[in-house]
Amino acid sequence: ATMLASPLMAAEKVYRLKLAETWPTNFPVFGDAPKNMAALAEQMSNGRLKITIDSKNKHKAPFGVFDMVRSGQYDMGHSASYYWKGKVPNTLYFTTMPFGMTAPEQYAWFYHGGGQELMDEVYGKYNIMSFPGGNTGNQMGGWFQKEINSLDDLKGLKMRIPGFAGEVLAKLGAKPTNIPPGELYTALERRTIDALEWVGPSLDLRMGFHKIAPFYYTGWHEPATELQFMINKKKYDSLPADLQQILKTAMRTAAYDMYIQSYHLSSENWATMKQEFPNIQVKSFPPAVLAAMRTANDELLAEKAAADPLAKRILESQAEYMKKVRVWTEISDKAYLDNVSN
Amino acid sequence: MLLTRLEQVCNSFSELLGKVSALLFIVMLFNVFFDVVMRYLFNDVSIGMQELEWHLYASVFLLGVPYTLKTGGHVRVDLIYEGLTSKTKALIDMFGVLILLIPFCALVGWYSVGFAMEAYDLGETSGDPGGLPYRWIIKAVIPFAFFSIVISGLGMLLKSINILLGHGQADNYQPPQH
Amino acid sequence: MIGIVMFCVALLMLLVGFPVAFTFGGVALLFGLFAEGPELFAFMPFRIQSIMENTVLMAVPLFVFMGIVLQRTRLAEQLLEAMAKLFGGVRGGLAISTVLVGALLAASTGVVGASVVAMGLISLPVMLKYKYDKSLACGTICASGTLGQIIPPSIILIILGDVLGIPVGDLFKAAVGPGFILIGLYIVYILIYAWRKPEAAPALPMDDDVNSKTEQYVKAMKAIVPPLALILIVLGSIFAGIATPTESSALGGVGAILLAAVYGQFSWKMVFDSASETVKVTAMVFAILLGATAFSMAFTYTGGDYIVEELLSDLPGGTTGFLILSMLAIMVLGFFIDFVEISFIIVPILAPVADALGIAPVWFAILIAMNLQTSFLTPPFGFSLFYLKGVSPPEVRTVDIYRGVMPFIAMQVAVVISILLFPSFYGLN
Ligand code: NA
Ligand code: NA
Repeated sequence: ATMLASPLMAAEKVYRLKLAETWPTNFPVFGDAPKNMAALAEQMSNGRLKITIDSKNKHKAPFGVFDMVRSGQYDMGHSASYYWKGKVPNTLYFTTMPFGMTAPEQYAWFYHGGGQELMDEVYGKYNIMSFPGGNTGNQMGGWFQKEINSLDDLKGLKMRIPGFAGEVLAKLGAKPTNIPPGELYTALERRTIDALEWVGPSLDLRMGFHKIAPFYYTGWHEPATELQFMINKKKYDSLPADLQQILKTAMRTAAYDMYIQSYHLSSENWATMKQEFPNIQVKSFPPAVLAAMRTANDELLAEKAAADPLAKRILESQAEYMKKVRVWTEISDKAYLDNVSN
Repeated sequence: MLLTRLEQVCNSFSELLGKVSALLFIVMLFNVFFDVVMRYLFNDVSIGMQELEWHLYASVFLLGVPYTLKTGGHVRVDLIYEGLTSKTKALIDMFGVLILLIPFCALVGWYSVGFAMEAYDLGETSGDPGGLPYRWIIKAVIPFAFFSIVISGLGMLLKSINILLGHGQADNYQPPQH
Repeated sequence: MIGIVMFCVALLMLLVGFPVAFTFGGVALLFGLFAEGPELFAFMPFRIQSIMENTVLMAVPLFVFMGIVLQRTRLAEQLLEAMAKLFGGVRGGLAISTVLVGALLAASTGVVGASVVAMGLISLPVMLKYKYDKSLACGTICASGTLGQIIPPSIILIILGDVLGIPVGDLFKAAVGPGFILIGLYIVYILIYAWRKPEAAPALPMDDDVNSKTEQYVKAMKAIVPPLALILIVLGSIFAGIATPTESSALGGVGAILLAAVYGQFSWKMVFDSASETVKVTAMVFAILLGATAFSMAFTYTGGDYIVEELLSDLPGGTTGFLILSMLAIMVLGFFIDFVEISFIIVPILAPVADALGIAPVWFAILIAMNLQTSFLTPPFGFSLFYLKGVSPPEVRTVDIYRGVMPFIAMQVAVVISILLFPSFYGLN
């Protein structure tokens, strides 16, 4: 009898996990991903896995999620890998890269092209497991007060563009500028800055930038921004194997779900913006400007590869995978869009 | 008198922090001004200089707290306090420091040490182009400030003990003058 | 449940009179240890860091500094006297000048402590000298000192913009109307008061050394123009895109130093002393923030957030009912808690509900800001009352101040109600 009873008792044990998200309470799209994940995990485990979510409003540490998951103050996190670039430089490569892969290409790399293994290697040292956490899809190049017609127009361009993409632009003479999010609107409206990048229509709409800037540039720097789920490794190992699998499945499903939701909301919100302000001009950077950005990007990446063997391996893995997968994209989706747009 | 001497030591430490803090404030004022002028007139922006603004601002208020404690500038609800004798006030301060101030600040200071060490171990830097390196320095200001508040609190404790022993004089409580 | 007990204990402990900041911190520690253990406080460094990195709050020390320099150089005082002479023939003119200067300071400093104390130092002795009613004088000073919270640039609006995710510029624009209505109401009230009780607010005599009205005006303008120019620089720099609202406060600080230099009052000692005073006031404000963040941490991590959330999200009565009850809740909480904590704890709970009910966020924010402004005046914990008491001569008693602010609180409540009922009049929906 005891042989039968104990697995049943074990099966009924409830595992409670606490998740810290970088986003404020009820933040659209980004905040929906951990909510979906928690609901899925609870349903699939028949209530044995209960995940509570604390937003930025509660823990007040949007950019402390890495540390808090590492130390075990929280069991899980939902954030974006590139936020940890200042702490662990190689985390930069698991969100999105300028001139890098599109969302389907990057997902293929994560799940079938060695991306997840490399991410495990980077995060493993810090007692953290990281998984894809939902994609925004292609992000827009940003809202501009002035048109960019040549490389000269980039010189002295005051733009809110944080992180690595800012480094690329800085190399071309632009001036990346820090402005607190609450003052971005005033800063762009009063032309304290010339341009800013945020996300895309899905989240740009509520910021109201379309009311004050005439040019909406198409993307180059964040072709497929992937958020991340993080789990404290020790905590993960303490879960029964079936719950581990359920958790992974819930994260993967929620990530995919966010990508779709973001796609949907972007199209909806773009229609709204365009309706409210029909004069918004969608622009693309001229080929010469893009070529210079690409050169600057390649040079910066070469520096990073030369400085760190692991960075070199990650960048090579991405470059090789993209080379292969892009050929397919070219003759499938790209060719299809070209075919039907004529 | 040993206790009054000790009180003076704590007080001069807090005074020193106040002077440092005031200097840092002046630097911060001109730092922000400089950044505005450079951006508007010369189209030049330095993320490092922009980050220096909040490094200074944070240091100003963190180091200012122990100084303000020493000068009696922290707001009290003085509806009842106002009418008490100086001995009763000293008792309140004594127990307040022992039960509320020191345990709280010491614990926060303790956990902040680990917090700053973490940044040191990771070699944490700014994630933005041209940002400041050595994040551990500004993070280390947190434990430093909280342990300084403990020291300043000890000064307050000694002062109230001295008043209770009849060796010291109570200041009249003055809310901030501006 | 722990949250509620913690709240009551904190209120009682505050009455004992130990500094507010450390009372909050200590109570947080006692309850946090009891309910969660010491590890809870491992979250504190992160919370402190988020205050350190919140560059919008940089405006606090910078605005305080400008206010202090203007006061030390007596430029603000000269401004007030000059204006009082212009209003000289009218009864209550000195109080009206106080309101107007308060409004001007409000447009520049944005920090209640700075303007209330400056107005208290400058204006209270003059009003008492001319036999103004003590309550009228105190009420006028407290009320016009708190105008800084609604007239842009304003700390409450900056914080609310941050918490609610609304562009600060939108809030600043929206606050101008209600701000002017308040100023107007104050002036009308003073005129009526002076008309009904002439002995309470006598007129100011003209200068003896001035022969003509023109000469009087010229003299007054000389005192009025310089501080006015400084205010225009600060506000203008935001609108011209030279500086962000936060940065504009640094222009104000440097501008005040330059102004002092123009009037031959510059010295590094003056700058350093002003900086020391600034540090004191700034540290006092931020110590409360630090204590309050510990308190709210202990409060939320022991389940307090769920209690308040349940209480506030189950507010009955649809849009109107929710608005009225949430405003009442904020007003009641405002009697006890600091506005910054209300902004950070209560508002994030109310915001999603307001959003779900389709309440325009800017309208909601302005209502909250007006409401919080009132909380500065409400006895027993309104900060303005403390500040003024600190700089008053002994013959002004706490009761005089309490009695004096009552009519002004009533006017503010009336304006809140009018915004609630007629948002379109203020262009808020
Ligand atoms: Na972006
Ligand atoms: Na203001």
